[in-house]
Amino acid sequence: MSHFDIERPIVKLPEQQPEQQIPDEELVWTDEEQERIEERKAKYPDPKSAIMDLLWMAQEKYDYLPPEAIRLCADTLDMDYARAYGVATFYTQYYKEEKGKFVLDVCTCFSCQMMGGYDILHYLEEKLGIHKGETTDDGLFTVEEVECLGCCGSAPMMQVTNGPYVHNLTKDKVDALLDDLKDGNMPPFVSVTLPQDEDEMGGNRRSDVEATETYQTPPRSEAVK
Amino acid sequence: MPTVEIDGQVYTYDDDRHDKLLQFCLDHDIELPHFCYHPSMSIPANCRQCLVQVGTPERDRATGELVTDEEGNPNIQFMPGMQTSCTIGLQDGMVVKTHRTSDAVREAQKDTLEFLLINHPLDCPICDQAGHCPLQIQAYKYGPEGSRFEFRKVHKPKRVKLGPRVTLDAERCINCTRCTRFTDEISESGQLTINNRGVRNYPITAPGEDFDEAYSMNTIDLCPVGALTASDFRFKARIWEMSSSPSIVTTNATGANCEYWVRDNKVLRITPRQNMEVNEYWLPDEDRLVYDRFNDDRPEGPQVRSNGQLVNANWTQAYAKAAALLGPVDGDRIQFVGSAYATVEDNYLLTQLAEHLGADTPVYMPHIEPGAGDDWLITDDKTPNAQGCERLGIREADMQMLRTRIQNGEIDVLYVLEDDPVASELCALADLEDVDVILHYYNTTNETLPAVDVALPAAMVVETVGTYVNQDGRAQRVRPAKAIQGVNRTLMMEMGTSREDEHGTPFDRWHNESHRINCKPSWEILPQIADRVGLDLDYAKGPQAIMNEVQSALDAFEGATYDAMGLQGVALEDAEAGEPA
Repeated sequence: MSHFDIERPIVKLPEQQPEQQIPDEELVWTDEEQERIEERKAKYPDPKSAIMDLLWMAQEKYDYLPPEAIRLCADTLDMDYARAYGVATFYTQYYKEEKGKFVLDVCTCFSCQMMGGYDILHYLEEKLGIHKGETTDDGLFTVEEVECLGCCGSAPMMQVTNGPYVHNLTKDKVDALLDDLKDGNMPPFVSVTLPQDEDEMGGNRRSDVEATETYQTPPRSEAVK
Repeated sequence: MPTVEIDGQVYTYDDDRHDKLLQFCLDHDIELPHFCYHPSMSIPANCRQCLVQVGTPERDRATGELVTDEEGNPNIQFMPGMQTSCTIGLQDGMVVKTHRTSDAVREAQKDTLEFLLINHPLDCPICDQAGHCPLQIQAYKYGPEGSRFEFRKVHKPKRVKLGPRVTLDAERCINCTRCTRFTDEISESGQLTINNRGVRNYPITAPGEDFDEAYSMNTIDLCPVGALTASDFRFKARIWEMSSSPSIVTTNATGANCEYWVRDNKVLRITPRQNMEVNEYWLPDEDRLVYDRFNDDRPEGPQVRSNGQLVNANWTQAYAKAAALLGPVDGDRIQFVGSAYATVEDNYLLTQLAEHLGADTPVYMPHIEPGAGDDWLITDDKTPNAQGCERLGIREADMQMLRTRIQNGEIDVLYVLEDDPVASELCALADLEDVDVILHYYNTTNETLPAVDVALPAAMVVETVGTYVNQDGRAQRVRPAKAIQGVNRTLMMEMGTSREDEHGTPFDRWHNESHRINCKPSWEILPQIADRVGLDLDYAKGPQAIMNEVQSALDAFEGATYDAMGLQGVALEDAEAGEPA
């Protein structure tokens, strides 16, 4: 069974007097973005609900969300800064600090943990010489431990930079993934099908792309002892 | 009337009130453990502590008829899982099983508590909340005897200064969200949020922000654990070392209800007391942080001026001196100044004395700070009893005119009840050189003292018995929270007896001689002086008898007897002020 102790149990206090990272003149929405914001706001009965959209837009714009970016989103929607901050910190997908080029979100929630999620996490930590939450010196990789990403069927798994999932992880697969990423190749999107409809739609359950690699019911993970 | 059965007992309820089960139980003295629920805020049902089993009578789907067994009893269908009683609305025929009748409920509540305690530090021996901590109390009553959690606990930030007045210990937090709901829904400052998720979450302000709203300390009372503590009161006293006395705060005209917490005759903190007609459950920070003035800079007995110097005297000498100043002077050359800080009783006695000496009806000095109020519990008026004065016929002083009269030498004796004419800018010290001043005062910081001829230390709100009328015309009693020097039977009898051992009396094992101030309530001082100028103001039962007379003599106070006011006060009718009944 996986090692269950919490390695570094200190939950940090966020910087209470943070230095501003983004200069004031960049803390504005372009006209195009304004338009998108209005669109998003119109989607909800309460425009404040668009905070998640806005935070996402800000993250795409600034690469991460320093406090002033969160405040910009809150001010845009006329909502409490604290509330927007609470939303931003709830989701690991919002990056509150600068991350590496590739963020490896390893799931260690129940199913992945049972299937060796911690082994994968610790293997990554050792291989890259960093602890979870840290970034390698070359700025290439950040390793994160995250909660359930909703892909228990192919545990253990990880997500790369809020993008494609990598399923059914083994140490070999991790090695290969790191090599690919170093070459700048993101892993392909793999469509997860249920066994009973692997034949339907050619196994491709995404209608917005022509084809994806299709997840096959895997052999037993090596990580299971 | 619809009925609901709880633990085998049938209760009727009012359908229009849309009561939730938990509130209904609490109203009927059926205790259910809970942490996150608060009657004034939204119900998130996130502590999962108030679990009960709930069943409803089965109805035939086609006909809507009740399904009954052979004996004609309705067939009760219990919901498959435990329900949070805080969110369940009452329903006719509902059957509820609490921990009193159901082992399953007992187990569920125990398991929830075990979860809540998994990452709780159990530092009760050094925690300010210990002794009145819902988590501690309910863990004793409903919790498991020990923990099965053998792993290291999650450690979170401690000693975080959330703002100038509130300190956070995130490890103790059980994430009930009462504090964030308070800032969202009640004070609407929106300054707090829950940060992070899962086992790592705790309440915090946004980066760079202070939790500095005017009502921030209410979150300390709301917090069901010791996560939010008062920065000023941290580690000062254990809850069981203090007595608490129900009273009201006197920092403004709201008359918010409060408890004064006292140890060794020092007021250490002030907390709100529920009164739905006045302050509900809340108390602004400025009302809580004024206790220093009850402890510090207090006078040491009366003083009289002799050969140009204020010298210590005993009370008899002070009374005699005051009487000697008042006696020979023509009534219209004496100015009596009442006080919106003093009780109705004291002001009433002052009007009696003024009338006897043929002086004008007393006036009071207003203390208004325009713009200080917030239309909630903070008012522009910084005095507790302006309304009480008005109802006695004591009018706001025309400061300009009074100043001119003093400067023109039209006044020989200025008698001031519990106020500070110099600090209030009624006149300068120099103006009072040729005026004999008799002053009842609270603190040695009183700026009028250098010009005073008789200085009489008066008991403050925490040391006296009396009545205040708030801006809405609600008459409320105050009770002594701490002892002063000398034995006054009335004060002794009014001292809080909330504890079985009668705190505050000499028979109390917490009774303490230290820090007792040598002062007297004005309702004791005034009759003594009156007696020496030929007026009998002997009220055998003290302020209670005075208030009885006031409420029967004056329309504006009708019904405000001590019994009627009790702990929640009495709303007075609007009546022509000062008019006799």
